Amino acid sequence: MTEYALTAVGLAKDFGRKRAVDGIDLAVPSGAIYGVLGPNGAGKTTTLRMLLGIIEPDAGERHVLDARHPAHARHRIGYLPEERGLYPGMKAKDAIAFMGALRGLDWREGRRRGIQMLADAGLGDAAEERIRKLSKGMAQLVQLLGSMVHRPDLLVLDEPFSGLDPVNQEKLERLILAERDRGATILFSTHVMAHAQRLCDRLAIIAGGRRRFEGTVDEARALLPMRAHFVPRTGDDSVRALLPDDAVRSGDGYAFVVPDDGVEAVLARILAAGHGIAGLSIERPGLHEVFVKLVGAAEGDAA
Amino acid sequence: MRGLVAPALVIARRDFTAIVFTPTFLLFLLAPLLMLGLGAVGGFGAARVADQARGEERLVALLAPAEAAALRSADARLRPLLPDGAGPPALAFAAPAPVDEARALMAQDDDVLAVLVGPLGDARVLARPERKRAGDYLRTLAGLARAGAEPAPATMVAAARGGDDPRAQSATAFAAIFAMFFLTLLLAGQAVGMLAEERGNKVIEILAAAVPLESVFLGKLLGMLGVALLFIAFWGALGAQALVMFDGAAPAFRPAGGAGAFALLFLGYFLLAFLLFGAIFLGVGAQAGSMREIQMLSLPITIFQVAMFGLATAAAGDEGGWIATFGAVFPFSSPFVMAARAATGAPVWQHIAAVLWQGLWLVLTITIAARLFRRGVLKSGGIRRRRR
Repeated sequence: MTEYALTAVGLAKDFGRKRAVDGIDLAVPSGAIYGVLGPNGAGKTTTLRMLLGIIEPDAGERHVLDARHPAHARHRIGYLPEERGLYPGMKAKDAIAFMGALRGLDWREGRRRGIQMLADAGLGDAAEERIRKLSKGMAQLVQLLGSMVHRPDLLVLDEPFSGLDPVNQEKLERLILAERDRGATILFSTHVMAHAQRLCDRLAIIAGGRRRFEGTVDEARALLPMRAHFVPRTGDDSVRALLPDDAVRSGDGYAFVVPDDGVEAVLARILAAGHGIAGLSIERPGLHEVFVKLVGAAEGDAA
Repeated sequence: MRGLVAPALVIARRDFTAIVFTPTFLLFLLAPLLMLGLGAVGGFGAARVADQARGEERLVALLAPAEAAALRSADARLRPLLPDGAGPPALAFAAPAPVDEARALMAQDDDVLAVLVGPLGDARVLARPERKRAGDYLRTLAGLARAGAEPAPATMVAAARGGDDPRAQSATAFAAIFAMFFLTLLLAGQAVGMLAEERGNKVIEILAAAVPLESVFLGKLLGMLGVALLFIAFWGALGAQALVMFDGAAPAFRPAGGAGAFALLFLGYFLLAFLLFGAIFLGVGAQAGSMREIQMLSLPITIFQVAMFGLATAAAGDEGGWIATFGAVFPFSSPFVMAARAATGAPVWQHIAAVLWQGLWLVLTITIAARLFRRGVLKSGGIRRRRR
């Protein structure tokens, strides 16, 4: 297995006069869970479609599973598109087998695996049901299983969590982790940061068709300074004068960015003034804050 | 190539089963019954008119009274043995006359199809080129009258054969054109409907990611072709069984080269016509974004198809004329016209040339339609593809 399952350099795509993707670089390590994060209309789906060879880029290069063109690696790729699609008249097990057959898997084997996968996902009763009779969430899971049935080396999921209730989201997260444990590389797009923060080994944030960040979740969170939440023992508002300038009221205490030289000097001033410390927490900002900051900055640039 | 064909077969299998294993397919399969019912009503009137016209046609024997009696006796014995509708026109008698007078008689009277010039020991038969069977019948009668024998089974079979009856051949030709038109119209339209369904279901994105779009295109064509072949097999088997059960009672089915050769040629031309029109329907249908747009786009193609049907029927009735030549050469009417010629009889080289010509156009049409399909389905703003 090579170091990267997928690489892209300078991918660009125009639709008419609109530049949907503007020179995106990606490098997805083999065996990793990689997230492509971005707001609606950021160019995530177009990027994934170019990486899969569904549409051709206007500029740039991409290499998928060492193939000269993504089309040559089709049998080793699984794909869940953003717009879910299944034949309503098909039985769940047949829908899974059909998607496997498209990727070169024998129908009978696909059906056998489909029944097993449905049972493992807690949907054993749905195997003989027609898609039109399944709930939206169940149908979505059936489609996801269909994209995995041929045991792909690379699994590409476009907004896999959208439209799922929390229980099914949990199931989906387990399925993704199981695929990673099997050895597959997973590339998924989302604009829900919680999933990305829990799942991703690495991620890219794109906005306005450009990549704004690439790295691990911790590296992303390190883009913003640590934040402190301090609760004084006394209810006296005069303590505000002892805190950094950016401190703001937050619940029963104050929130502020941890100064470059740490919080020790601030705490010393508070103790010396006799206010006391009822609570203190220092936290890294979440991916959500990083995302909002980066995307907000990108939108500011565009404006 | 395998990478193109294997997924196409998967898609064809899906489409085939999705159509065939539904109750509505029974309606589709039995639709010809309705058409036959309607056709029977119209055909009844037409048959009466034809019978009246046929009543004036006759065969003439120029014989002395004694020989005329022997020939009349032979006619009385042979005619009842022939199946209904396959018998020759009435036999008339006139005084012995030389061959020149017989020729003059045929020139003056179009209803005289053949003339036997006596005596029976040295009988000569004149027949119109397009009605050789009438002449054969007179020869058979002369032989029976000379021998005074009962007609042997072989004689009956020979007399009943309608292989060169132009009316029967024309009817078969028209039936071939109509069957092909009906099937291509119905099935090619259905292929577009399936495509619209896929766009509605968003399945097309999955297909596009998993297999080459050319395979999707090919799979859809093959799936519908499978349905068409099932349809033909069903009705072909029923028709063949009916012919066996009512041996000779269907004078309208009289292809010139025999039923086997005709069936083979019909199948071949049908395949070519279906693939040609199916490719056009799919290529154009892929440009539409909704069922309404598909219907709008299908209309001009359907009109074109109807025009080809009209051209083919005109060509079938204009043997040797420029319409026939044009119809046989124009690629989109050629399968219909040549299927008709398979019924009326055409040299083998014409069929070989037609199949090659239509095959060339098929490759061209499928190539262009597949590109249109790719561009229409993905709406990615261009059809250019990188060299792989």
